Amino acid sequence: MRSLLRRYREPVFVAFLLALPFAIFAAKARKPMSHNLFDRAVLALTAPVEKAIVMAVNGVQDAWHGYVALRGVREENLRLRRDVLHDHNEASALFEVKAENERLKRLLEYADRQSPTRYLVAEVIAVGASPHSHVLRIARGTADGVAQGAPVVAPEGVVGQVAVATAHYADVQLILSPTSAVPAVSQRTRGRSTVKGVGDFTRCKLEYALRTDDLQDGDLLLTAGGPGFFPKGLPIGRVVNVAKRPTGMFTAADVVPAVSFSRLDEVMVVLGHLPPPSSVVNASTIGAPQ
Amino acid sequence: MTPRNGLVLLVCVAASILESTVPFLFHLKAARADLLLSVVLYLALNDEVVQGAALSLAAGYLSDLTSATPPCLYTFLAVLTFVVIRLAGSAIKTDGGPQSAAVAFAASLIHSSLAAVLFYFVAPGSEGLVLQFVPLFWSALGTAIAAPAVFSVLRRLDKALVPVSDATLVR
Repeated sequence: MRSLLRRYREPVFVAFLLALPFAIFAAKARKPMSHNLFDRAVLALTAPVEKAIVMAVNGVQDAWHGYVALRGVREENLRLRRDVLHDHNEASALFEVKAENERLKRLLEYADRQSPTRYLVAEVIAVGASPHSHVLRIARGTADGVAQGAPVVAPEGVVGQVAVATAHYADVQLILSPTSAVPAVSQRTRGRSTVKGVGDFTRCKLEYALRTDDLQDGDLLLTAGGPGFFPKGLPIGRVVNVAKRPTGMFTAADVVPAVSFSRLDEVMVVLGHLPPPSSVVNASTIGAPQ
Repeated sequence: MTPRNGLVLLVCVAASILESTVPFLFHLKAARADLLLSVVLYLALNDEVVQGAALSLAAGYLSDLTSATPPCLYTFLAVLTFVVIRLAGSAIKTDGGPQSAAVAFAASLIHSSLAAVLFYFVAPGSEGLVLQFVPLFWSALGTAIAAPAVFSVLRRLDKALVPVSDATLVR
């Protein structure tokens, strides 16, 4: 037996390496996601590096943009008030601080309008490593009060839900994911429907919109709210490609999300507003690939 | 663990970090390169079976960890990709950049499709089999463009770590 094993050492080892992850995947695919101690340790090593890279590159970009934006002003000021423009780097830094302040002010004003729900502003530091994942990584975790399933929003609208969280970081599953489904209501007709992700980065699918609702291209969809879902009245997106059918109960259409997911620098996590298991996003099946 | 394997693991970690940050920094939507898949392809074509399979498992694990997917989906696919490419290895040549790009393009398409199919069968609670060719195509294209660079890094690493006696023989 031992000699047989020695003889087929390579195939046996590879078969084991194939069987082990498949067994874990099959066993855990339907269960809520969680990170074990080793996962957390690896994330604790890699996430700060991601954050540092993003901060460094953004810093360089911002400084460059600040320089380009201020160059014309500097030339004019050199002519008019030579003694004022002596610190270009400082001006660039101030320009970026101002832009950041404006952004944060918008977020805070938005948060105030939405009270009494509590919001936590979180910086986006990365996206899912797999090209087919629909995930954002934020620099907030359970230590900040972020919990699995917490809704995540931006001033423009709904972003997604926290799929998994460590102490200082959390992964947010976007509404674009095939596993996401958000109850919606049309702002104009008040008709209810569901916005489902299809894995496309530019659109979602509208489901269960009654044919009698008279949905039209351009109609704005808002979150329907309700216990355990996103706060009520947040923009989800606009209806496009409405296909009027002569028969059947429902209207088929696409939804262009209100949020540009590839251009999110900050988001807000809704605290104290957790959905029950298997509500908006089925936690057991979060993270479907394309 | 040999220094070479440790360095390959470091390359995997670096690839995982780049995969997470570059699309975010450059606002890429679909054309996102699967760098870890390129690492697995290189291992399948150049490494020993046991060592390569183990390193592929690690690469898949890193992909899983940063993708919020059910545990071990990409780990399994990484080892499977290693096995398939290894078996087909005699028919695949990746001496030049275009060849490795072509292999990476095809492997990425198959890898992504397989991930969708596998997820559909094992997790039927999901929205269903979602196979959209356009995002898959762009992702495969990104992977194909990045693959020669990944191959080059790993080749340099392997050359640098060739034992002195072997290096003399090579000369």
